[in-house]
Amino acid sequence: MSESEKRSLIRFLVIYLTSTFVLFALVSWIFYHATERNIHQQQERVLESEITHILTRLRTLHASDAPTLLYPKNTGVSSAIFDVDRHYIFGNFSQQPSLDDAADSEVLRRIVPVDPHYLGAAYLLVSRPFDDAPMCALRRNILLFMLLGGVFFSVLGYFLGRLFIAPMRESVEQKNRFIEDATHELNTPISTILANIEMIEALEKGQDVREELGRIEIASRTLSRIYDDLTFLSLDHPYHRQIVELDLSALVQERLEYFSVVSRAKGVNVTSHIIPHVLLSIDTDDAMRLVDNLLSNAIKYNRNGGTIHVELTAHQLQITDTGIGIPPEKIATLHERFRRANTSEGGFGIGLNIVHQVVQFYGFDFEIDSEVGEGTVVRVGFSELGIRNSE
Amino acid sequence: MKRFILLIAALSTLLPAQTPADPLLEANCLGCHREQKLPDNLIYRRYLLRYSSPERIEKALLTYLRHPDKAHSIMPSEFFLRFPLKYPLKLEDAELRESVQKYLEYFDVRRRLRLEK
Repeated sequence: MSESEKRSLIRFLVIYLTSTFVLFALVSWIFYHATERNIHQQQERVLESEITHILTRLRTLHASDAPTLLYPKNTGVSSAIFDVDRHYIFGNFSQQPSLDDAADSEVLRRIVPVDPHYLGAAYLLVSRPFDDAPMCALRRNILLFMLLGGVFFSVLGYFLGRLFIAPMRESVEQKNRFIEDATHELNTPISTILANIEMIEALEKGQDVREELGRIEIASRTLSRIYDDLTFLSLDHPYHRQIVELDLSALVQERLEYFSVVSRAKGVNVTSHIIPHVLLSIDTDDAMRLVDNLLSNAIKYNRNGGTIHVELTAHQLQITDTGIGIPPEKIATLHERFRRANTSEGGFGIGLNIVHQVVQFYGFDFEIDSEVGEGTVVRVGFSELGIRNSE
Repeated sequence: MKRFILLIAALSTLLPAQTPADPLLEANCLGCHREQKLPDNLIYRRYLLRYSSPERIEKALLTYLRHPDKAHSIMPSEFFLRFPLKYPLKLEDAELRESVQKYLEYFDVRRRLRLEK
């Protein structure tokens, strides 16, 4: 992973985890306070019930003639009664309480008015230690939830981050590969041209230089084709097309001659069967790009001494080669830009992308049959409207 | 011996109710009440139910004893059908106050309250 990818991933994780944590903390805070209120209310209800019980007992005691009046002693609850002047009467607190004692957060404390004043009580003070066990359990559960959530979302965030930067990574890799390929692809013809010029300069005057000039011509044509392809891609073809009734037969014938030098240099035998005067409504440059790229690939990925057969009928152009072939799993993605089935030869991986754009624009059918080690058959089927055979 | 202990225990539980009354209280209050069979405990509880504190009960009692009147009494009017309204006590104020104090102490519920076991 590159430094920029690491930085992007870390930034993503920081934003993602911070926002997730804030959201979780907010939800937990709301849940904590709602549950805390419920627990308090529940314990208050228990205390209310105790108060009712004590008041009933006070009424009974007040009516009693018994020489000894037994004050109620409820488990876990302390209570005391006070007269109307707030003086202590009786109670079961360990220490004599006062109605004015300060509130304690750990104790539930209620002062209830008593009227009529059973046993002279005008106030009943009831106190019960707050049961903190449910709150401890709540805090523990929330902490556990935050911890598990944090681990889960960290792992999820990491994988999501990797997923998000994958296209960026692929794009960067494609660009790097393209630059490498372009450098290599331009270097070969330029080196050829320079080497042959040096050779011509080294030869004595009057010597035959046709061979050197032929090599320079091949290299120049290669450069010209690279230039055309790159221009087409960089413009992304929003240019004005001039659709004309093109004699495709003548064009294919011309391009075969154009590539004959290159194919001869590689020892590839080219045969053709071209029905004359196949007319097609197409922009001349588009037609040239289509044919050039298919022929270029057929030559480039052919083996030394291999063959190419070009067949043009009224309905299709078919180019068959005896090249290295394309693995079946790569055929479906070959039209993607910078995609290359094989890196054994030079190239940018843009040829079939250009072909794909042209056939898509004109609505042609495009088909590739290939077998690794045997060769490839490429067919371009023309739409009926665009075809007109003069014969 | 066992019987003696049981007797002592029984007497100790009855002690608050049976504590001998102060001579002043006996002479000025309880003697006549006993003769007239007045329900002292009931009357005291009614005062307690309404006035709550000894100070307020004392004040209400003094008001009634100085000027016996159905309006000043804690008892309902039907009570006086059976027990006629008494005459004002011819006691000095200090002695009356002391008698009332003794009365309140004698019937005070605090002395009878105990915690449940």
